[in-house]
Amino acid sequence: MIEFSGVSYAYDTAPALRDVTFSIAAGESVCLLGPNGSGKSTLLRLLNGLIFPTGGSYFFEGREITAALMKKAAFAKQFHQRVGFVFQDSEAQLFCPTVFDEVAFGPRQMGLDEEQTARRADDCLALLGIEALRGRQPYHLSGGEKKKVAVAAALALNPEVLVLDEPMNSLDPRTERALAQFLLQLEAAGKTVIVSTHDLRLAARLSKRAILFDESHAVAADGETAALLADRGLLKKANLVDWEEE
Amino acid sequence: MADIPQWLTRPEPYEPPKDRDRFLDRSIVSFVTLLSRFRSQSALERDLLWVSPVSKLAAAVLYVVLVSLARQFGFVYLMLAYAAVLLALLPARELRRCLAGAFAAAALAYLILLPSALAGSRYSITMIPAKAFVCVSFVNLLSRTTRWDRLTGALRRFRFPDLFIFVIDITIKYIALLGEFALQMLYALRLRSVGRNRGKYGSLAGAAGTLFLKSRAMSEELYYAMECRGFTGEYRTARVRPTWRDGVFWALNAGLVLAYFALS
Repeated sequence: MIEFSGVSYAYDTAPALRDVTFSIAAGESVCLLGPNGSGKSTLLRLLNGLIFPTGGSYFFEGREITAALMKKAAFAKQFHQRVGFVFQDSEAQLFCPTVFDEVAFGPRQMGLDEEQTARRADDCLALLGIEALRGRQPYHLSGGEKKKVAVAAALALNPEVLVLDEPMNSLDPRTERALAQFLLQLEAAGKTVIVSTHDLRLAARLSKRAILFDESHAVAADGETAALLADRGLLKKANLVDWEEE
Repeated sequence: MADIPQWLTRPEPYEPPKDRDRFLDRSIVSFVTLLSRFRSQSALERDLLWVSPVSKLAAAVLYVVLVSLARQFGFVYLMLAYAAVLLALLPARELRRCLAGAFAAAALAYLILLPSALAGSRYSITMIPAKAFVCVSFVNLLSRTTRWDRLTGALRRFRFPDLFIFVIDITIKYIALLGEFALQMLYALRLRSVGRNRGKYGSLAGAAGTLFLKSRAMSEELYYAMECRGFTGEYRTARVRPTWRDGVFWALNAGLVLAYFALS
């Protein structure tokens, strides 16, 4: 479904990704692991067609995602409906007057009637356990609530792929557990879930497969999460655990 | 949590309707350009054209004043040649950006003065675009070769009030931070604009409202952080000491001032 072939990206002259190659099948759940600044967020922006490789190619279902292709509104809209994205700073994702409007924004865009839209929005709110926030203003919610609203808003489009950038950042342990459980539920329902994180416990809990990035902005390892997390030397080299830690 | 509903387990065949939303792409491009300008500024590890920011700032003001006052072509051409030499020392990308601004200013001046040329005044149509080109080149050279925080620091030497320098520093910082946040919001809007949005300007206004609230929250946090660190209105920045290069630079500038009087 998703294929990166020798993808590189640089901001001006500063490299963010170097020669990244991997593929992700439909229905697979993958964790992108790496220390801060290793290029995970850039990779997710590439995955969502917000920016484009400065080297190499990115294919989605066999079609190369390029700036020219994403300029075609019909394709871009269909692509964004199929690939949902939850930002690291979910506050930046919320721009509607109420939580309900936020979640209903996507279904309304897709042309669903108000009854279907309301049912879909309520389903999403119930899934995330935030029905009580229905009429609240998104900006005044807590960090965890904002994150849940952002997930619900992305989910309301019924995307085939859900991409989450550091979803557990600044969440309390209870919200973190609930969100992790929810992501597992989504995976079981056949969604492709791609999560970037530097949280090793979360990676172990969430997915069977992990792709590890190191500080050189390249893929250091790609394989089973359990095996990868057991390789302390590799994690130390990628700067994900302390050298003193034993 | 509730069970996954049926509609979420099925792929959704979806054909998006046509809609006009190029304004979003254009806004995103403007923000990316603005932020890349800030990134390239902060990436300057050391200033280009190796004299202190204080000397550069003072010299840029001096050049603009001299070129503006010049009445003879000789001095303007001399400064044009001098600007060309300095521009030639820049990396290709910075050179391109400097020249783009300078040529745009010269072209605008030329357009404005075109009627006077048609009325027979050849002096203005040659002199003023040349002056505009030279002045904008020097200002661009200053801005492109010196980090802005060092430039604002240089203002202290000219007895600008601390509070004024502090406000400029904070403004520059927050343009970058809020610009990044605004870009994220535009990305979010584009990602979820998958169909026909009848209230697209309403969505954009919502994003602007969130940005305003964010800026208010950030300013409050900044105020508290300043209070906690005992800020009393005195804003200190590192002083840059002049070197022998500044001496050579000012000898050259003295020569330029002499040339101004000699050629007048």
